[in-house]
Amino acid sequence: MTYKLLRDDEFGNKTTGIIRILDSAYIPEDPSNTDYQKYLEWVADGNTASAAD
Amino acid sequence: MSTIKVSKVEPVTSGGDCIVKATNIVGNKNLMINGAMQVAQRGTSSTSSGIRTLDRFSFNYGGHDESPTQAQHALTSSDTGPWEKGFRYSYHITNGNQTGGAATSDHCFFGYYIEAQDLANSGWDYTDPSSYITLSYWVKTSIAGTYYGYIETLDGTSQLFSLSTGALSANTWTKVINKIPGNANITIDNNNGPGFHMPFLWPYNGTQRTDSGHTLGAWAAYSGTSRTPDYAASTWWTTNDSTMEITGVQLEVGDIATGFENRTYADELRRSQRYYYKWVAGVSGYKFAARYNATGSGQDIPGMYWFPTTMRANPTGAFVGTWAQSNCSGISISGTSTDGCYIRAETSGSGSTTYYPDGASNGFTMTAELS
Repeated sequence: MTYKLLRDDEFGNKTTGIIRILDSAYIPEDPSNTDYQKYLEWVADGNTASAAD
Repeated sequence: MSTIKVSKVEPVTSGGDCIVKATNIVGNKNLMINGAMQVAQRGTSSTSSGIRTLDRFSFNYGGHDESPTQAQHALTSSDTGPWEKGFRYSYHITNGNQTGGAATSDHCFFGYYIEAQDLANSGWDYTDPSSYITLSYWVKTSIAGTYYGYIETLDGTSQLFSLSTGALSANTWTKVINKIPGNANITIDNNNGPGFHMPFLWPYNGTQRTDSGHTLGAWAAYSGTSRTPDYAASTWWTTNDSTMEITGVQLEVGDIATGFENRTYADELRRSQRYYYKWVAGVSGYKFAARYNATGSGQDIPGMYWFPTTMRANPTGAFVGTWAQSNCSGISISGTSTDGCYIRAETSGSGSTTYYPDGASNGFTMTAELS
């Protein structure tokens, strides 16, 4: 499983959340979201999300 | 007015009906959602493991040679038992062809997660051994036998309570009732996390997860190698196209299985949408989404979509099918809250700009399931 960051908006405001590359799903930075929990485990294993397009 | 004081009123036969005409029996007693198997937002048939058809309920498996099939199954008047109680659907499993036989790690089960705060606020005094909740459901299998399952608490030190169907006859609907007492070691948080994991019925479970010395129906610290007693036979797993189906699943406070709380489809759908919501355009060519008159390139075209009910957590969002983009590109779901989501695309130049689901079956899904 790999992830990538979202681009900031046109005004430079940071966009939160990440994209799961497998199915292009948007995952919010919510500790109650089970997909975000899996992402944090993936990061804890030493992985880093790709930069935004 | 006269008063009769009794400690309990039960039906003459176990699992039968006991009619009580009372004015103080209230609804909302079923702590589970979609127990009558009415709502299937994801689809009606799948060979994948997990929550793939019926909302809230999963069928999980592993160690297989051929995947089992899970389906929402329409009952008929020949389904004696649940049909007369008003059930019109079941959660139906057809086994695959497990040509390698039954290995110790092979398994499959019906599962369900209950949100912790729903248990904490249910009225069940879960640390008191004299306070009960009762799980009941209808089951039919093509292979006679005794099947097991369990309930696992997920807050604090995980505790496990194993369950049994009792001896089931082949191809006969049977109502299973499991009474579950409280226990001093149980912890249930008052939050939106998982309170119970309920893999309550396993058509088969290899000995990797079972124990011949397991004590059935007693709370104990969770042990991954002693979840239930050993299965006496692996026949269900090793029989190609064997079946098992369930309906009328109810978990309620008290030590008696009362009649199922029949709910409308609309009620069950709205409850289910707290955990999963699927929106599709419904009409081909329908220009639902954003339209904008851009003054140049690189401008974000925002679209906000509100969910029909507040979801359990900020959901994971994904598109279903393709979305057409006119004078824009890079459409993405770029934010979700428990109440809505934000979709955007970037303009390619000046002029009229729009995006929309490119087909009647296209749209998006929002997932906030427990695990």
